[in-house]
Amino acid sequence: MPAGLATYIIRRLLLLPLILFIVSFATFALGRYAPVDYVEIQAGPRAQPETIERIREERGLNDPVPVQYVRYMGNALTGDFGISTRYQGFPVADVILPRLWITMQYNIVVLVLTFSIGLPLGTWAALRRGTWQDPLSIGVFLLFASVPVLISIPLLQWLFSVQLGVLPSGGWSEAEYLGVEFGLFSKHAILPILALTLPGVAGVARYMRGQVMEVLDQDFVRTANAKGLKASTVVTRHVARNALLPIVTILGFELAALIGGSIFIETLLGIPGIGLLAFESIKTRDYDTIMAIVLIGSTVFILTMLVIDVVYGFIDPRIRVEGSMS
Amino acid sequence: METRRLVLTLTGIAVMMIVVIGGLGAILLASGGGDDSTAGDDDGDDLGARVEGELRLFGPDPITLDPACASDAGSAEYIVEIFSGLVSFDLDLNLVPDVAEALPDVSDDGTVYTFHLRSNVLFHDNSRPVTADDFKFSLERSLNPDTQSTVGEVYLDDLVGAAEFIAGNADEVTGIRVIDPQTLELTITEPSAVFIDKLTYPTAYVVDQREVGDATCFEGSGWTLTPNGTGPFKLAEWDLGRKIVLTANERFHLEPAPALERVTFILSGGSSFVMYENDEVDVTGIGINNIETVRDPNGDLNADLHEGPRLDIFYIGFNTQEAPFDDANLRNALSLSINRDFLAREFLLDLVTPAKGILPPGIDGYNEALPEIPFDPDAARDLLEMAGGAGVIDGATILTSGQGATPSDILQAVLAMWEQELGVTVTIEQEDFGLFLRDIDEGKFQMFSLGWIADYPDPQNFLDIKLHSESANNEAGYSNPDVDSLLDQADREADEATRLDLYQQAEVIVVEDMPWAPLYHGKASYLVKPYVEGFVIPPFVIPNLRYVTITR
Repeated sequence: MPAGLATYIIRRLLLLPLILFIVSFATFALGRYAPVDYVEIQAGPRAQPETIERIREERGLNDPVPVQYVRYMGNALTGDFGISTRYQGFPVADVILPRLWITMQYNIVVLVLTFSIGLPLGTWAALRRGTWQDPLSIGVFLLFASVPVLISIPLLQWLFSVQLGVLPSGGWSEAEYLGVEFGLFSKHAILPILALTLPGVAGVARYMRGQVMEVLDQDFVRTANAKGLKASTVVTRHVARNALLPIVTILGFELAALIGGSIFIETLLGIPGIGLLAFESIKTRDYDTIMAIVLIGSTVFILTMLVIDVVYGFIDPRIRVEGSMS
Repeated sequence: METRRLVLTLTGIAVMMIVVIGGLGAILLASGGGDDSTAGDDDGDDLGARVEGELRLFGPDPITLDPACASDAGSAEYIVEIFSGLVSFDLDLNLVPDVAEALPDVSDDGTVYTFHLRSNVLFHDNSRPVTADDFKFSLERSLNPDTQSTVGEVYLDDLVGAAEFIAGNADEVTGIRVIDPQTLELTITEPSAVFIDKLTYPTAYVVDQREVGDATCFEGSGWTLTPNGTGPFKLAEWDLGRKIVLTANERFHLEPAPALERVTFILSGGSSFVMYENDEVDVTGIGINNIETVRDPNGDLNADLHEGPRLDIFYIGFNTQEAPFDDANLRNALSLSINRDFLAREFLLDLVTPAKGILPPGIDGYNEALPEIPFDPDAARDLLEMAGGAGVIDGATILTSGQGATPSDILQAVLAMWEQELGVTVTIEQEDFGLFLRDIDEGKFQMFSLGWIADYPDPQNFLDIKLHSESANNEAGYSNPDVDSLLDQADREADEATRLDLYQQAEVIVVEDMPWAPLYHGKASYLVKPYVEGFVIPPFVIPNLRYVTITR
């Protein structure tokens, strides 16, 4: 591994705790300073104010926010992410892990599908430039990329579940394979995957089309064509390769979009994943669960971005040497 | 060189994707092919699969299954099936003995309740019978400040010594005495007609002290995954946020014993109505979007429709402590300009019953003779003039809870009526539920809209709890000495008919004073599959599953 790359990775890794600190403290403080805490919400209209105040005091909710923050993070560093109040009295880790597994299953498939369909589709659209297929495809891409899941989900539910009756209207399967729960391999997974893949594919295809068209106009492509290379060789060896480089970066944005998108998807479809849990935790001020979700989410995101940067440098030597030469 | 490496990388990724997608497709096809005959496991793929003797319901996702801690109906619904207490309500709202073998002997002064326990009530693991000691432990656990229950004292603070125990000045609640293993004596500070009703609430249910140990409401709830209860059903599985499976307690101590083998509650998923149509659940509630389809006498679902009363009330509360709503004329003006019939019948499609007072139909003491609150815009305008004209409430706000951008249609309809009939403009202020509760508790409102659901079927639960000037739940700040005195008398009255009469007198005065504009009482409207018999949605949380049978 070249020296420049190693320092780059180390530098980025050192930033990780700082970013996590900022994100986690902001989340923590926002939660604590927001009016009404979980004791009050859990108590409902019947409880006595004195009881609520007593429990609040005993549970340390009256301590200064920085004190509470240090206490929480101290425990989190030892692997104790606290106790849920949405699922009252259960350790956050026990609540989160099964949920995370569900959300990961369908999101990984969505990522794979998005890029494996979106990239060839975008290339194809770019090559059809000037024909009637070009405006048609770009119109379709735009349409799919801009319809929010809040609208597409009810439409898909209506079509597949109510009208055709072929898919369940929501929820998640408990199907098991080889002793591991794999709800992914059931009809329940199709609606969320469809709803996330359609805009994903459209977005990636639209971006790829733009990249390919830019490359197509460049001199070396004209040279390659002039040399008499087969059209397919020109596309795969010269055009696609150069167009792909910037695409790698949008992988990170896609991932971020998925993390955010799963809140909507899961709430609308009643999928008991991490997104639905996040929504419910916020509603009920489940402080510890919210914190754990934010910590996990931001760590995953930061690490993914790091990997992408490294991969980028690996594919394109110009970026890698930049560190050591300039 | 670089080109080759890139091509190799890309080829590798492409191959991986093909393998993943291909494999996925293959498995999807295979699983769709119908090789999933794993009975008992709703694979979800074979829509409509149902195990013999299984009832499938769409249920609320509970917050806790610890009886000492549950403050919401969504949690209590499961707890009343898994655990049990000294007494409970049957579906006709009669108070019946449960773990107690008969209703208690009450001392002449009305403060000492002696319960004799059945000798044949076993915990679910069949290890041992329930004793009076178990009850003492469980009741004290609900009251113990270390348990951190938000509701323990709400339901049990009548007991002698409860206050000292909560304050930490006593090691036990002196009002809970174990006479012998089968006899429990409860002493309350002053006679109360509803103390025994409060014992039907989960905070008075019995838990297995060996299992619970020192678990509190906020820590160590692991035991509730395998609770050793005494109720008609055992908890077989609780997959947090996903499903709850109950199986019959074949040694249950009451008749009828549960006929269902198991009950599966799906806790998350799409629309329960669609799930019902797709045969994924056996019961579904019906909302305003589906009710007309279902009511169509020629429709497939019409025969499945059931309706029942709910012991609740939805109302608009006024801040009677502050101007301008401290004026009864103003409150009555607003109330008289609400067309309740239109609201209930046209607007809510008869899913509710228009309210004419505070008490819901079906509750003991419901006053059939109480006249309806008329829709009388002329009288309303006169009253408004007497109160100072439309100007006095210009710019008033009504506080409501909710998420989402649009407040409830009902509230908007009421506001439209006020605008049309009285020419007053009221704005809606929407708050998150927790904040809303705090604000109405602290009197930071002019008007608010809220509902109240019975904890037990007694007028006291509505009139005394919500409208006695000294009650913590009297958000409207309503205070009328005549009403207070009637409610206090009723509370001490031993004769049931006299007691109910006192509540009716109090209700008449309340309706005149109009601290609330009562709107309507809910109804449960739901579909039940024809092969399910005996299923009813009770008017409030009552164990109802042991009455259900499946015939097919």
